[in-house]
Amino acid sequence: MKKKLIAFLTVFATLTIALGGCSGDKTGGSSNDESSIIIGIPQDLEESLDPHDAVAAGTKEILFNIYEGLVKPDSDGNMIPAVASSYELDAEGKTYTFTLRDGVKFHDGTLVTAEDVVYSLSRCADTSLGEPLVPAFSNIESVEKKDDKTVAVTLVTPDTDFIAELTVAIIPEHNADPDSVSIGTGPYKYVSRSIQDNIVLTRFDEYWGTKANIKDITLKVIADSDMIVTNLQSGAIDMICRITTEQAKQIENLDYNVVEGTMNLVQAMYLNNAVEPFNDVRVRQALCYAVNRQEILDIGFDGKGTIVGSSMFPAFGKYYMPELSEYYGYDIQKAKDLLAEAGYPNGFKMSITVPSNYTQHVDTAQIIVEQLSKIGVDASINLVEWETWVSDTYVGRNFEATVVGVDASTLTAPSMLNRFVSDNGKNFINFSNEEYDIQFACAKSYTNDADKTAAFKKCEEILTQEAANVYIQDMSCLVAINNKYDGYVFYPMYVQDFSTLYVK
Amino acid sequence: MKYAIKKIITMLFTLLLISFLVFLAFNVIPGDPATAKLGTQATPEKVEALRHQMGLDRPFFVRYFEWLGGAVTFQFGTSYSYNMSVIQLIGSKLPVTLMLAFLSFIMMTVIAIPVGIYAAKHEGSKIDRFITVVNQGIMAIPPFFSGILITLLFGLILRFFKPGGYVGFDKSFWGCLYYLLFPAFAIALPKAAMTIKLLRSSLLSEAKKDYVRTAYSRGNSTTAVLYNHVLKNSMISVTTFLAMTLTDMIAGSVIMEQVFSVPGIGRILITSISGRDYPVVMAIILLLAFLVILVNLISDIVCHILDPRIRQEV
Repeated sequence: MKKKLIAFLTVFATLTIALGGCSGDKTGGSSNDESSIIIGIPQDLEESLDPHDAVAAGTKEILFNIYEGLVKPDSDGNMIPAVASSYELDAEGKTYTFTLRDGVKFHDGTLVTAEDVVYSLSRCADTSLGEPLVPAFSNIESVEKKDDKTVAVTLVTPDTDFIAELTVAIIPEHNADPDSVSIGTGPYKYVSRSIQDNIVLTRFDEYWGTKANIKDITLKVIADSDMIVTNLQSGAIDMICRITTEQAKQIENLDYNVVEGTMNLVQAMYLNNAVEPFNDVRVRQALCYAVNRQEILDIGFDGKGTIVGSSMFPAFGKYYMPELSEYYGYDIQKAKDLLAEAGYPNGFKMSITVPSNYTQHVDTAQIIVEQLSKIGVDASINLVEWETWVSDTYVGRNFEATVVGVDASTLTAPSMLNRFVSDNGKNFINFSNEEYDIQFACAKSYTNDADKTAAFKKCEEILTQEAANVYIQDMSCLVAINNKYDGYVFYPMYVQDFSTLYVK
Repeated sequence: MKYAIKKIITMLFTLLLISFLVFLAFNVIPGDPATAKLGTQATPEKVEALRHQMGLDRPFFVRYFEWLGGAVTFQFGTSYSYNMSVIQLIGSKLPVTLMLAFLSFIMMTVIAIPVGIYAAKHEGSKIDRFITVVNQGIMAIPPFFSGILITLLFGLILRFFKPGGYVGFDKSFWGCLYYLLFPAFAIALPKAAMTIKLLRSSLLSEAKKDYVRTAYSRGNSTTAVLYNHVLKNSMISVTTFLAMTLTDMIAGSVIMEQVFSVPGIGRILITSISGRDYPVVMAIILLLAFLVILVNLISDIVCHILDPRIRQEV
């Protein structure tokens, strides 16, 4: 018995060593198949890859490669035709008429028909379960097939920005289970997934447009942000987006290029406008004067980032007002005077809630705490888990101040400004300003572009003047990519385009 | 027989208590599957609607007993974050964790038993003292830290493996096993140190007993006495310890999965907790609790076999 055990152990030990010897070179060397890439993603995708159901930004940005709408954004944020080859908007601003592109195929090889388009749009506009899948689609009156190549979308109220919503995925009507079977028209098709491990995509060779360069893409879930640098150092991943400046420094001498773009969000210390003392505009303004934003960029972000002064970031182009970032200069004395005027000559205590998984926001909050102490405000940081932040801070609105980044789902002004309308469900800061509500409603109703832009800009100004939040910056976005690859393109919105990547 | 029934009843009661506590904890902490699912798309109305749809707006006890009713028939429901049954989800990840746990257990035994015997046999020698010192050092290192050190040494400096480059066993069985050797080593090392220490002292104290002197006086060689008498008797305490270690190994795997990016039960457990996916969390915790209890039960039985005296006591 004993001898058997010893024999077994010996065999096992030998096996272990032998095994180590043979697979060592397999994992050690790099793959010779040059048309594949492993990309790290910070969280797994959602359960369902149904493009109409996905809510997480991290899922949507990946689905961008699998699905396309009638139109899709290009890297400048313009809406370019995709499944449709062209469209027209009538003079009233109510009816969009789309001509479908010839020969667009789904990943299962079938051709896209007008019925599929009507089915997809109607599915998102369906109100039988309350709010439609795409909230903006509540403005759709009808979706009609005019002929085999033409589909008309008619709105209830005119909206010249509505085209940005028509990026919703066109999916085949014959797919009975879009939850688990992903069929789109995009440059990549879905192959497989292993929960909390990886997602595999492969190039769609019958894509109507410019075909993708790299054949196989493996998206690897790296749930623990501390593992990002290790994964880069070991070469387990070839690329990852949104690394911190700290992580970028750690891989400086390795075979990676770090390319810089913008995050396209508004990082701010969002203030609960309904609770004391932040219900007093003077207190909010005092905080704006007391926060030195350049210092935040220098200390926390290696000097990178763009200072913003309202709820709008540079990628919005015509809507963005760079001058608002100067509205509150760093001025301790002014801040103290305003506090005294508001009845807080000795400052007050406040708590800043920050979701702990966002290192950048935690860093920013720490610098703010330091800066506020100079005007006698004793701020403390309350680190919470992301889910707690969502339920207590965001939905429950039970907070004083919180440092987070707010992004836009589309590049239309309402996607940033909508949430500050008094009765909006997403108005988590409880901002309430009659003039703002009026301006916003007017802006939405205008069909003339100049009037519309001016009214939205007025809204931005109100947010700044009222010091709704302590606006900080649009953060820089750093992407680490192995020297072997190139072609990463930044978009002004939260999407990742893998089709432009190529092997050098 | 009476003993076995008593044990099983205790086991069921423990499991029931654990399930209740976990369920309660999930009810108390902020956030629920509805808010976790909606994220920043959440508005109070949407959350309410989804909570209703998921049945989360019903009273605590109604939900608990509904869950319990399913659990006794092994129906753990469907995961909230993943569109599959809990059994299926855990079933797809459990093999990796178990493989890791067993691999580390075997590795630990392979290292500890020969070294422990050697140290006891050569008590007081330079090598024995060296082993003792190294042992103390290793025992002082927390497992996750040894994991980081191993990643650094074998992964980034020696390049024996690619940290983060785990391949599923469905893709390459040997590749997967090879990758798991390193986390297994990280788990096994501190436990092996403890086992060596225990085995050595247990062998030495056993060697001082009267029957050993008798054995010597009968003309047996040192080796014969050691293997035929001393080792067998000192294995009892070691077996109990090993059983406890095996349960530690399962817990250790859960931690080491994070350090080595191995997508097993640990990863699912952590993401399910943050996703408030309590059907999955409940099932995993119960499974782990069950394994712990089961292993202890088995160790009791093994001790019975090894030592007839225990059999009589019960």
